[in-house]
Amino acid sequence: MPALPEYKTRVLLENHGVPLAHASFYSVMPEILPKPVVFLKAQIPGATSRAGKGLVRRASTPEEISNGLKELLAVDNCHGVLAADAVDIRKEFYAACLLDFGDGNRLPGGVILFSTQGGSGIEERSGSLEKMYFSLLNPPSAEKIALQLPDVTERVELSGFLHGMINTFIGYKLIVLETNPIAVLPDGSLIAVDCRAEFEKQSVSKEDAHLFELPESTVDDSTPLEKAVEKINAADPAGTGFFRSSREQIPCGAIAVATNLCGGGGKMLWEMATGGRSDISTLNESDTSGGLSAFKSYRILRVIMSQPEARVLILTGSGMAFQSQYHLASAVWKALRESPEPLPCLLRFGGTDQDKAMELMAAVEKSLPVRIKSFIPEIFPNAMIDQLEELAADVRVKQEYVPAKGELAFELNSPPGRFIYHPENNPDGIEPSCIRECPTGFLLWKNGRIEANPLAKCTGCLVCETVSLLLGNGELTIDLDLDLPGEVG
Amino acid sequence: MAGILKHLCGIETPEVLVFGITGRQGISCSRLMGGFGTRIAAGCTPGKAGQEVDGVPVYNSASEAVQAHPEVNSAVFFVPAGAIAEAVFDAMDAGIKFLVITADGLATHDSIKIREKARETGAKCLGPNTVGMLDTDGYLFGLIGGKASWARQNYLPGKVGVISRSGGLSQLLAAFHCRKNLPGPRKDGSFGPLWGDNYPGLSAVMCVGGDPVPGITLLDAARAFELDPRTEVMAVYAETGTTQENDLAEAITLGEIKKPVVVFLGGKYTRAGVAQSHAGAMIRNPNETYQAKKQALERAGAKVVDRPDAVFAATAEFF
Repeated sequence: MPALPEYKTRVLLENHGVPLAHASFYSVMPEILPKPVVFLKAQIPGATSRAGKGLVRRASTPEEISNGLKELLAVDNCHGVLAADAVDIRKEFYAACLLDFGDGNRLPGGVILFSTQGGSGIEERSGSLEKMYFSLLNPPSAEKIALQLPDVTERVELSGFLHGMINTFIGYKLIVLETNPIAVLPDGSLIAVDCRAEFEKQSVSKEDAHLFELPESTVDDSTPLEKAVEKINAADPAGTGFFRSSREQIPCGAIAVATNLCGGGGKMLWEMATGGRSDISTLNESDTSGGLSAFKSYRILRVIMSQPEARVLILTGSGMAFQSQYHLASAVWKALRESPEPLPCLLRFGGTDQDKAMELMAAVEKSLPVRIKSFIPEIFPNAMIDQLEELAADVRVKQEYVPAKGELAFELNSPPGRFIYHPENNPDGIEPSCIRECPTGFLLWKNGRIEANPLAKCTGCLVCETVSLLLGNGELTIDLDLDLPGEVG
Repeated sequence: MAGILKHLCGIETPEVLVFGITGRQGISCSRLMGGFGTRIAAGCTPGKAGQEVDGVPVYNSASEAVQAHPEVNSAVFFVPAGAIAEAVFDAMDAGIKFLVITADGLATHDSIKIREKARETGAKCLGPNTVGMLDTDGYLFGLIGGKASWARQNYLPGKVGVISRSGGLSQLLAAFHCRKNLPGPRKDGSFGPLWGDNYPGLSAVMCVGGDPVPGITLLDAARAFELDPRTEVMAVYAETGTTQENDLAEAITLGEIKKPVVVFLGGKYTRAGVAQSHAGAMIRNPNETYQAKKQALERAGAKVVDRPDAVFAATAEFF
């Protein structure tokens, strides 16, 4: 879950009237320093136990403030420094709002974890915290909260404080909201001395987006291939296109497998087939599902195939997809034709048009630079992997793909692709078969040229190119740009 | 013969209100549902009242639709995740008792509020993040099958009730029980047809969705199949995360669920804190692990398999 650092969480609490310790935030070294005595706190999303890591410092002199600010501002992934006035704390409480997922006997809702013993060492004392469950739909009033609180002198102030926390938690649909500690001041009032929040991206409303915006992390551990997939998704956002490289070392002697898994079911079947095996190493997580175009499937397949350690590609979903398996097979065929180092494949097609997908792969199998084995959905991944060793023994093929030149018929932005007409493959100038086969009527044949029908939509299914190459004379190809710095070779 | 909704929420014949009927997915799924035999009474898209989609009248709100079509008793939602909670509350306030939420990416707060509201109003919500449900009595909600002709061809009346936390595996478990001569690993170690032309068939399939806070749970669905006279065996796809399997195991132990239950349990190698397949599969406490669930289900008397192709052999044993 994304985490909000203290300086951002303070704004959320403030908007719901929760009292806070006075503090100023500095993202750069200020010209006028805050007045001592202050606590300088590095603002790093998700950081916990900051004091123990030297990320919180007490500064009693201008020199200490200046040095502390300089040092903390230089810390990796630090958004800035919060300089909080030192306060006279008489007593401390701890409170956190979390989601409660319920069980057979308790409806889901929210829960407050609360301690009268303050915040230090809270992780170790988590088992002894008071729990107060509450409804998200009908949250409790301050009076109701007071009835549930332990017998403490500050019960009234505390119930008001917790009421504000619950309103903040529900108002911004947070996953976690923690104030640690809640300080009792000499006049009996309460303030939050420190706080943090976690949230779900999908919960942030447009109006509140600015409150949850975070500076780009200076610590980016994403791989070049993950970045390539990010770019693919940014250009063609429809459907799920997920890719993550494994960070684990390939065990000695294990077969390194690149995976194109479709949907949660596909991921689960693969995990069940190989999770406990040390002789098979899964190079990447993936999920291509949710109605993505074949254009996008192709691009992600190219990323998956470009993993240099890979010996074999496996592609499977649950075995019963609505997504056209014929379109997916078209993407696989294109990726195998155009990848500089295509991989031998184990392919399981199941669902809509699975027979057409199998027919396509059978028709092109002999022309491919690598071996493929196609499976019907009745054969599950646990049986498919019996073929891994044999395919992994093949030497990895290298090929150079040079696209035929042709003429640009038109270029699409959504889904992105360039449609190339090859008049040299259509010397009689008659309507190519790919026009008739377009499932949406998007392609038109006009005046001896291929044009886009302004009244129809291209779904990026690749059927036109497949038909053109398989049944026609190669009159139409589609150029799908790919920024793939990590590609093998 | 009444379908599974009779036992889930007392609905004999679903009369459906389709939210988001004017959108691309709304139109295509309405055609799928109608083509399979579902009775679509009305559609709802705010600001589009007065329009028609394939002859189905569109209204601005659920209350307007229900006023014009008092027979409406169920709803399905093809609207973006951010707009779901408001639409669902609208439908529940209008008195609709069975709702199917297909969208994924709902804020967890919204899922929880929907669950609370359902309890308040007595409604039952399938989803979020579900492909829906299909009953071989002749109705379906959601996306199952993709095309009506395909759904009619692949989901055939019979004795197995399917419940699943995965969309794809819902369809797989349901369709494969309707295939003649389905091949699979047999008890004697050979691989071949598990049954002949006389396939077990399907009573209904219900996908409870892959989110951490489902409306209808595995147990809610199992209770309905327990009451359904067509269903002789339940085939369940379960996984790590949430307490649904633990609750189901407890109900079997207590004798509330008496029919045989075959569970294909996923997540054997899922580590705590990692969402391996679906958001709801994340392990948050020791009761939610594969091992804990397997133990609880087996102790209760359910047949647990961890090879997907073994499910069909396991259900075949009961016929």
